[in-house]
Amino acid sequence: MFEKLIDNSMAKSPWIFHINAGSCNGCDIELVSVLTPRYDAERLGFRLTGTPRQADIVVVSGPITLQTRDRLVRTLAQVPEPRVVVSLGSCPRSGNVFKGSYAIDGPLEKYTHVDVSVGGCTPKPEAIIAALAKATEILKEKRKEMHK
Amino acid sequence: MNTFLNNFPILAIMILFVGAFVTSLVGRRSALARNGVVLVSMTAALAMMLALVKPVLLDGQIITYWLGNWEPVEGWAFGICLEVDALSLFFGLIVTVAVFVSGVYSFTYMNHDDSLVNYYTLFLMLSGSVLGLVLSGDLFNIFVMVEIMTFTAVALTAFRNTYEGALEGALKYLVVGSLGSTSLLVGIAMLYSQLHTLNLAQISALIPGQGANPVIIAAFAFLFMGFATKAFLFPFQPLAADAHAVAPASISLMISGVLTKCGVYGIIRLCYVLYENLNQPLVQYLVTGFGAVSMFICVTMAFNQHNFKRLLAFHSISQVGYVITAVGLGSALGVSAGLYHAMNHTIFKGLLFLTAGAVQHQTGSLDLDSLGGLSKRMPRTTLLFLIGAASISGLPPFNGFASKWMIYQAAFQRGAATGNFFFLFVCIVALITSVLTLASFIKVAQSVFFGQLPEQYKEVKEVPLAMRIPMWILAVLCIVTGLFPTQVQNYLLLPATSAAFNAANYIDQAMGLGYAAAHGIATGGVAGLMVSDCWNPTSWLMLLFCITCAVAIVALLASPNDLKDAHISSCDEQAEVLDAKYESFFSGEESVYSQVGGSDLFWGFKHNWRKYFSYMHDWHSGIVNDYTLYGVVAIAFVLLACIILL
Amino acid sequence: MNVLLSSLFHVLIFPGLLFCVVMGVLLSGLDRIWVARMQRRVGPPLLQSWYDFLKCCGKETIVPRHAKKAVYFAAPVVGFAALISISLFLPIAGGKPAYSGTADLVVILYLLTLVSVCTIVGASASGSPFAGVGLSREMVAMISYELPFVLVILAVSRAILAPGDSLNNIFSLQAIADYQAANGPLITRWALIPAAIAMLFVIPCEVGMHPFDVAEAETEICEGTLAEYSGPPLAVFRLTHMVKMFIMTALFCVLFLGGITTGIAVLDVILFVLFCLILTFLTMSLPHGACARFKVEQVFKFYWTVVAGLAALSLILVWLGL
Repeated sequence: MFEKLIDNSMAKSPWIFHINAGSCNGCDIELVSVLTPRYDAERLGFRLTGTPRQADIVVVSGPITLQTRDRLVRTLAQVPEPRVVVSLGSCPRSGNVFKGSYAIDGPLEKYTHVDVSVGGCTPKPEAIIAALAKATEILKEKRKEMHK
Repeated sequence: MNTFLNNFPILAIMILFVGAFVTSLVGRRSALARNGVVLVSMTAALAMMLALVKPVLLDGQIITYWLGNWEPVEGWAFGICLEVDALSLFFGLIVTVAVFVSGVYSFTYMNHDDSLVNYYTLFLMLSGSVLGLVLSGDLFNIFVMVEIMTFTAVALTAFRNTYEGALEGALKYLVVGSLGSTSLLVGIAMLYSQLHTLNLAQISALIPGQGANPVIIAAFAFLFMGFATKAFLFPFQPLAADAHAVAPASISLMISGVLTKCGVYGIIRLCYVLYENLNQPLVQYLVTGFGAVSMFICVTMAFNQHNFKRLLAFHSISQVGYVITAVGLGSALGVSAGLYHAMNHTIFKGLLFLTAGAVQHQTGSLDLDSLGGLSKRMPRTTLLFLIGAASISGLPPFNGFASKWMIYQAAFQRGAATGNFFFLFVCIVALITSVLTLASFIKVAQSVFFGQLPEQYKEVKEVPLAMRIPMWILAVLCIVTGLFPTQVQNYLLLPATSAAFNAANYIDQAMGLGYAAAHGIATGGVAGLMVSDCWNPTSWLMLLFCITCAVAIVALLASPNDLKDAHISSCDEQAEVLDAKYESFFSGEESVYSQVGGSDLFWGFKHNWRKYFSYMHDWHSGIVNDYTLYGVVAIAFVLLACIILL
Repeated sequence: MNVLLSSLFHVLIFPGLLFCVVMGVLLSGLDRIWVARMQRRVGPPLLQSWYDFLKCCGKETIVPRHAKKAVYFAAPVVGFAALISISLFLPIAGGKPAYSGTADLVVILYLLTLVSVCTIVGASASGSPFAGVGLSREMVAMISYELPFVLVILAVSRAILAPGDSLNNIFSLQAIADYQAANGPLITRWALIPAAIAMLFVIPCEVGMHPFDVAEAETEICEGTLAEYSGPPLAVFRLTHMVKMFIMTALFCVLFLGGITTGIAVLDVILFVLFCLILTFLTMSLPHGACARFKVEQVFKFYWTVVAGLAALSLILVWLGL
């Protein structure tokens, strides 16, 4: 009965869990700036949450260092369905300037299906918002598939 | 009066004592015979008490039994008498039910131990003495029973003498317990020297004629402190903690559920019937003050405990503090609230001690810092524990709520009626103690039953049914007495309260009609004793049920698919390889054993109270000399206060 | 039949389930908008909390390995039901309470405790160490606000007693409402103003709003008590949180702002809702916008000294007959 309502709400209330997989902190700061008064992503219902159990969108930044790899995989496994993975910045998708380093084991696609990817070092907040908005649509689609 | 029923009080006491001797005779030959004798004598005592319910509680009769038929001659009572009024029977019921539950529990619980014949002999003697105490109508008889009670309790405390601290705990109990017994004996001797009688009824009749006789007043102080020792009131609470921590759980139930009730009974009998002096402000301050201080200090002490049963022991005194506080208010509502809470305390604290015993029986440990996650292995015990914990914390609709609620009301009424800040303060302390009680049971729940299961307890099993049945009896009593407070009031509390306020009737039944009037004791004001309305838990429960149903229906409508293909996923318990999805979130780290529990739990609270806690820590030094000193100081204080101010 | 229908109406529609949920969503939505405006943001839509609730309903629930499943699922529902049942004791907008027991104030005090206990037990049953820290903080927060709360209740109960009154009806919300209907709202008694201020402080801590949300600090302890909750149980906890905002503000209105009436029932309800809105702004949005989160020991200290002091002052004044 309420399936449709729930599907629609899924797009309106995406909660973000942010994983830093060895990022230089540039993207992380930009992600936080998205929530500041200037860009105010809370308009769209975004909220940073502290635990993967409550997350809908997992944002991964950084080139996946060896140290963070297992932790990243574990945390991703703990996010309940439906979930969307967003890779933030150039590092998770290509390794960026760290490519070829003995200490990194990227890209992110090796470990999970990436739904939305934002390029840039660092991406502009506008781009991040656009990516998150895209992610919410995917989230809604995934939810629809879940109860089909 | 039915002459057949007349014999029941003495028979109930005797059957327990006789059972004790028969146990020691036959018990060495066959365990079955031993358990049979114990079961029969406990059941018989319980049945006799239940048979007395109708004439005494419902019809309001008083049963008097003169041993050897030595009835009073010319207004002087020479013989020993048993006098059972509603108050005595109320406590008699509590005692026999607790004894029954504890005995049944012991059959399985004690199967790891040897020399059980000694255990059951002492157990039945303890039961008999306690029952004798509450049914007795003779002051010296009470003293004899107190002595038997104390010594058997000491022996039973040290029964598992291989435990660390068992002998030490028993020794402390023995030494300081003797202080209380001595205090009682001195009080009795003083009364006898003045009044030349030991019969409770006659003493009660003669005391008003003595005026302000200092010896009589000093006797009051000694008797009060004697009973206070038996109830482990402040400053005697460290003994209880030491004794409970090492005693078998069934004996802890007896000590907290039954022995402390003897102290409570003694104080009610002393203040309401013997001296009838609870209309005097000083006595009210004294009794209520002792209660409130015990209540508060013990609940804060419980915060610091690492041992499950030590924690329960401190709570035990804290709850007895509630009872004494309510009794000391001197109003009818206060007494019935106190009696209600006394009954409830026996039930829920008994339940909690038995769950502690179950945990100990299955895991071999009582250490709050090392246990955890047992709800996975012992789900039924967990449920029982939660019922007990909710009751003691006073959560509706369990029995603790109903009685605490009456206590608050009694304290507030008393304060509002007199405009006295003292009673208001007591009311505040009672309310705060309740939330602190809740906090420390949250601590137990978190550190024993919930959280993560330590590796060494992976193979723990649920306790056998034979141990769960006594626990269920108490749990059901918790719920029933909580759901029907009005009935409990009408059938149990009101008769007992009227008996406490009707000394004249008590005297007349023992000494012959008109004896009380001849000594100027007015007939008690039973009229207008009606206690105020109770809250109505059953209809609240129906509301709660309605709402839960409504929520459930909405949830069903919302997600029919969810129920079918279950968006609820839980892990396979037997899986060899752990799926990261079901591990606790550990900031991405591999989940390792990590249990937040035990002593660390309420850091934010303890940090602010660190000075108080460090002071209390020093105060509870564990040295028996210190505890004796506190006892002597307390007795001296009460003595001085009474003599100077009364 | 009529009795049954009317009680069903009370339980399900007004002032029970439906009204509480609507008010909870409204208050929490407005609160989020107000906080956003204070930070010069646009803020989420009014129904954001409702969307959050629905979304959580549609998510998967992962029961962690260390969790005790039955308790994990039962705790949120029991807590929510207990919270809704509080609304039936409240004489909302000058009307009669839907269900009047005696000494309702003590019952309400303990039902609120029961709600928190359900959160705590649920957290405890989820087996997470973060939840362990969270429940410890929740309990300390509870000890913190309980003292001033109790003092306020005692002060109000004493304030409505005239000399010679029967003492059998103490702690009764109905009596408090009747007294205010006859003598005007209690907040106009100057002796009770400190108690009212103390009660204003109790509200955010009881609800668990920023800056007193020590138990659910998402940045330090990963949502604390809710760390392992996901899906519908989390949704119910969220809803409980919202409805608590309404219940606490309504309790304040009943205790201190009763007796303000226009004579028309609908207008009275609107007025009541208005008071709840103002209180939400004062007690929840304003501190949220203005303060950073307290540490748990600071919360305890603040409540047992300043707030309890205010409430005690009131109690003493009232006790002296002022």
